[in-house]
Amino acid sequence: MNRNLLRFLAGRVVGMVLVLFATSFVVFSAVHLAPGDPVTFLMRGRPITPESRAVLTAQYHLDQPFLKQYFLWLGDVLSGDFGRSVQFHQDISTMITDKLPTTLFLVVYAMVIIAVLGLALGILSALRPGLIDKIVLVWTGMAVAIPSYIAAIVLLSIFSVKLGWFPIYGAGEGFSDMLWHLTLPAFALALMFAGLLARVTRASMLDELSREHVEVARARGVPEGQVIRKHVLRNALGPIVTVVGTMVASMLVATSIVETAFSVQGVGSLLIKSVTAKDFPVVQAVTLLVVAVFMIANLIVDLLQPLIDPRVALGGDQK
Amino acid sequence: MADTTKSTTKKKNSVPATRAADSATPLLALDDVTLRLPDGAAARPILDGVSLRVERGETIGLVGESGSGKSVACRTVLGLLPKNARTTGEVRVEGTDVLTAGPAGLRDLRRNKVSMVFQDPRASVNPMRRVGDFLTEGLRLGGMSKKDALARAEELLTEVGIRDPKGALRRFPHEFSGGMLQRVVIAAALTSDPALLLADEPTTALDVTTQAEVVGILRRLQATHGTGMLFVTHDLELAAAICDRIYVMYAGRIVESRPAAELFARPRHPYTAALLASTPRLEEGAEPPTAISGRPVSLAEAPTGCAFADRCAFAVDRCRTEKPALVEDGTGAAACLRVEEGILA
Repeated sequence: MNRNLLRFLAGRVVGMVLVLFATSFVVFSAVHLAPGDPVTFLMRGRPITPESRAVLTAQYHLDQPFLKQYFLWLGDVLSGDFGRSVQFHQDISTMITDKLPTTLFLVVYAMVIIAVLGLALGILSALRPGLIDKIVLVWTGMAVAIPSYIAAIVLLSIFSVKLGWFPIYGAGEGFSDMLWHLTLPAFALALMFAGLLARVTRASMLDELSREHVEVARARGVPEGQVIRKHVLRNALGPIVTVVGTMVASMLVATSIVETAFSVQGVGSLLIKSVTAKDFPVVQAVTLLVVAVFMIANLIVDLLQPLIDPRVALGGDQK
Repeated sequence: MADTTKSTTKKKNSVPATRAADSATPLLALDDVTLRLPDGAAARPILDGVSLRVERGETIGLVGESGSGKSVACRTVLGLLPKNARTTGEVRVEGTDVLTAGPAGLRDLRRNKVSMVFQDPRASVNPMRRVGDFLTEGLRLGGMSKKDALARAEELLTEVGIRDPKGALRRFPHEFSGGMLQRVVIAAALTSDPALLLADEPTTALDVTTQAEVVGILRRLQATHGTGMLFVTHDLELAAAICDRIYVMYAGRIVESRPAAELFARPRHPYTAALLASTPRLEEGAEPPTAISGRPVSLAEAPTGCAFADRCAFAVDRCRTEKPALVEDGTGAAACLRVEEGILA
């Protein structure tokens, strides 16, 4: 088992490196695919003096052949140097590490809401067919269909503007203040995903509820609560964990909208600002970050699956 | 005892097949059990006036084709009824009625008195939990410590012939063969030392060679633990080989009941006879099997008279309109209007 685990991990890490390598190439080439010459693109159309052109050319190694430029850039990226923001004239790595805690706080907070709300509604819906199930289905249908920027505006106008319970903008300082500031953004971010999770949980639970071993457990006098917990929910975890895993990266992208709506200074709002300002080095860095997070989340999901269902073998090549 | 107290409310076809246990409370007694399912406006009947007895340590067979209601009848003993089912009659385990029992009563019944072995061990064990968890679940509910429960489970696994029982507790169901897993299921059924074991086609999903082993284990354990057993099967020959007494079901009704050897040698209901004739024989010079013409009907689609009339070689006009009662005849009972005419002789 442990040797299998190591082999599996080694294979996955090699795969991840290859994917990141390919992604980095695409991300880098995009500068050259943009119309006009890279310097004009990087200067975002502002008039350029020959001196600044020379500085930029040297900074981005634009006088070198394309592939060499890529490897020089890759070398910098690997050493943690993503270059400087064209817009803010700051070191990108520092900018991202400064903003990452806020975004992580927001994502984790939203994740907790998604888990609690999504699981609770999904379980309720599966166990109470009829009216409650229908209400939950309508609600989750709406939640899935409402984009997060609409949710953000609605939440803002009700809870901040009308009721004044929560602040309108900013991320706050310190844990409790951040919790207060980020509650509405977290809900705006979580609603759609919670609806999705509720649906997946419901379907997976219903599938397990119809299994004969559940009937057997009841026939053995196991109390209903324990039947649901240890036999139905426990067995329904596979699809739930998979869907949560794929959510992580999508949430990171969705933070860009929510953070912008609530004026929270995080990685997401940085991405939006950089895209609108054509601040390409920042977009490159954030894109690589999202791809890396996506792959790590998937790796964790794959590692969890055999723990949930012992019939799933790691890597799927044994037996 | 049931006869004297219940005879006033009972219909004439529900005379219990055995009076031997009148002096003591029978382990299991089904009395005139009727079960109906709502199907749109009209309720759909599933069981009609089913009565049967299982005494302590006795093996009773319940035989019938698929759809005859034998599994439903078996499940009523645990209070496992189909959704929205409506029942009349009584299902008494050691004198206590199951159908009117509350949640606490049902839990006690299921945990301590009656265990069930299901048809397909693959489907009846949670594939994601360890075999040890499955075996000890019932014991732990009874408040036993984990250590004691595991020791007891190990003991039972040894008894059902699992090699390396300690290791088996740590393994998952998919690591066992079907036959081995059914042994685990039997061990789990015996953890609570139940007075009654319900076996719902426990060998149907297994290989023929494994079937014999599993039946052997069931018989041996039943003997050593003094457990009564209700053995549900479609295999009349298997039932005849292991049961003391057999009830034959057709379309939700008991059509014949008799001590196994006698039922096998001299069936008195045409359906039993047809069922026996349809079993292939291995003996030399044996007659080739004859299939029962037509298909089994459910109680809902059965004609007003005898449900078997349309497939019966001996049916007369009267059979299609008049419902035959289960009439006692010394050693057993048969529900056939022409049983006295010696049609099967």
